[in-house]
Amino acid sequence: MKFLPYLLKHLRRSWFRTALTVLAMALCIFLFCTLQSVLAQISGLLDSRSGRRLVTRNSVSFTFPLPVAYEARIQSVPGVVRVAGSNWFGGALPAKKEGKAEGSSATRDWSNFFPNMAVELEPFLAMYPEYQVPPDQYQALLQDQRGCVIGRKLAEKYGWKLGDTFYLESIIPTYRKPDGPFEFVVRAIFDVDAVKYPAVQTNQMFFSRNYLYEATGRTLQAGVYYVEVQDPDEAGEVSAAIDRLFENSDNQTHTETEKAFVASFVAMAGNLSLLLNGIGLAVTFTILLVVANTMSIAVRERRTEIGVLKTLGFTSRQVMGLVVSESVLIGLMGGALGVFGSHGIMWMLTHAPGLKSMLATIGLTELNLRPLVAGLGFANALFLGFVAGFVPALGAYRARITDALRTV
Amino acid sequence: MSMVDVRKVTKTYRRDAEELVVLDGLSLQVEEGDFAALMGPSGSGKSTLLNLIAGIDKPTSGEVVVAGTDVARLDETGLAEFRSHNVGFIFQLYNLIPVLTAAENVELPLLLTHLSKAERRERARTALKVVGLADRAEHYPRQLSGGQEQRVAIARAVVTDPKVLVADEPTGDLDAKSATEILDLMGTLNRDFKKTIVMVTHDPRAAERAHTQHHLEKGVLRD
Repeated sequence: MKFLPYLLKHLRRSWFRTALTVLAMALCIFLFCTLQSVLAQISGLLDSRSGRRLVTRNSVSFTFPLPVAYEARIQSVPGVVRVAGSNWFGGALPAKKEGKAEGSSATRDWSNFFPNMAVELEPFLAMYPEYQVPPDQYQALLQDQRGCVIGRKLAEKYGWKLGDTFYLESIIPTYRKPDGPFEFVVRAIFDVDAVKYPAVQTNQMFFSRNYLYEATGRTLQAGVYYVEVQDPDEAGEVSAAIDRLFENSDNQTHTETEKAFVASFVAMAGNLSLLLNGIGLAVTFTILLVVANTMSIAVRERRTEIGVLKTLGFTSRQVMGLVVSESVLIGLMGGALGVFGSHGIMWMLTHAPGLKSMLATIGLTELNLRPLVAGLGFANALFLGFVAGFVPALGAYRARITDALRTV
Repeated sequence: MSMVDVRKVTKTYRRDAEELVVLDGLSLQVEEGDFAALMGPSGSGKSTLLNLIAGIDKPTSGEVVVAGTDVARLDETGLAEFRSHNVGFIFQLYNLIPVLTAAENVELPLLLTHLSKAERRERARTALKVVGLADRAEHYPRQLSGGQEQRVAIARAVVTDPKVLVADEPTGDLDAKSATEILDLMGTLNRDFKKTIVMVTHDPRAAERAHTQHHLEKGVLRD
């Protein structure tokens, strides 16, 4: 510790260079923490998906719907336990909550977007045992056309209680009704066992597809079909059997496990994990070179000083320690700044109205810097600082006093 | 009793296939409390001899006994410890650390001791007082004149209370007035603080201040 003021003075010697190096290191750690948090969130999202559930979608894209008649045919496939049609409603809270007819999108409040879907409630909730709904609330939900079930977090966020009413209007024109936003009544609130299902979120809302059909007055097709299979080991065969059923139809299907479906959903741009990790690795390596270069310059500039320190009685090991410590100190400052920045950007992403809704569409409704990721980021910064400083420090270690003192 | 006893020392450097003999079987004694000047033309080996006495280089053969320690037998760590306890080095170009204040520069060798921060600070102040720069303790080297910088360097050399002071042309980069002040200071350290001083110089006026003068030529003593 007694050398700390000495190290800090040296870092202030060329403060602009030090600041740039710290910022470079901070950028590296910022990217590491942010990318890893996104990946961890996605990974958690995928892990929470049951192997017993399949998703059947239009083979062209999930944005193309499937005929309602498909449901019964899918149900007839051996190995299928139940089928639930669903539509991504994409509803947002209107700015006005009086329920007046508002056709303009300007009245929607995007700052509080949350995932909401129209589903066939009975089979859907039956195949999602992780959503725990009290029996009496479940019955009330089924008996009320306008009823909806919301997650605990959503209920807490808006202060909604059983019996409360709120309004949503869809971003999809065909899911709008002429007389204004959809009115929903909170009939059930679901909880999730956080220990058993840590990644399952409770900020979602589900309501009956019948309500969507009847309120819009249209015969709407299904967005996707959720399929529960008897045996997860037969998921591949069942998927193939379902797709074979519609091989020669106008709307061919693509059936995959729910996990694969979500993975493809969040990774439409390609292998997201590989891409993000690749970016992180490239940036980390670049920063390693930047810091190593900075430390090399710093050591070269202070060659005479190294000779003086050794003349005064500092051992080569102590001089080497000072150089490495200086580099680690840069890592420490950069790491702290990067972790702080990452925490800040994630807070911003999950609170900025436009960005928040965009992330929600791929399931990233919650994004936060986990302590483990922050710790890893910080350790990464210290490690980078150490590695970057090691080679210049080795040069300082090996420098002979007589040679070092001759350096001008 | 000899504070510095150099016995039949040879120092050779190898440059490719060529072997360069810098010191050739040189012997020299400097008594405790002496003020010795090493003189000679460039390339005569006086700085090499000074480096051997200071323990920052090792002889190819022979013995260099300083304050009772044969520095030729010490390893790198032993030499560093020897230097921190026994030798104060005064450079021609002062070699102060530019980012540290005068007091912090003087305090630097004390970081290797077990003294507390307050004790280190106190000793540094005392050393600066001895060289007459107590009022410049918080000044940075760039805020000092050449003579003042050298006085700070001398304070740094004496702050650990070493037995031997070695000076490599301490007045070589100074004007006449500052040089005189530095030589006066070195005389005081020798006389009042009983420091044994070995000084390399080209300047005859500086050499006159020494009690003994030794002339080197081509790696051997001429007197």
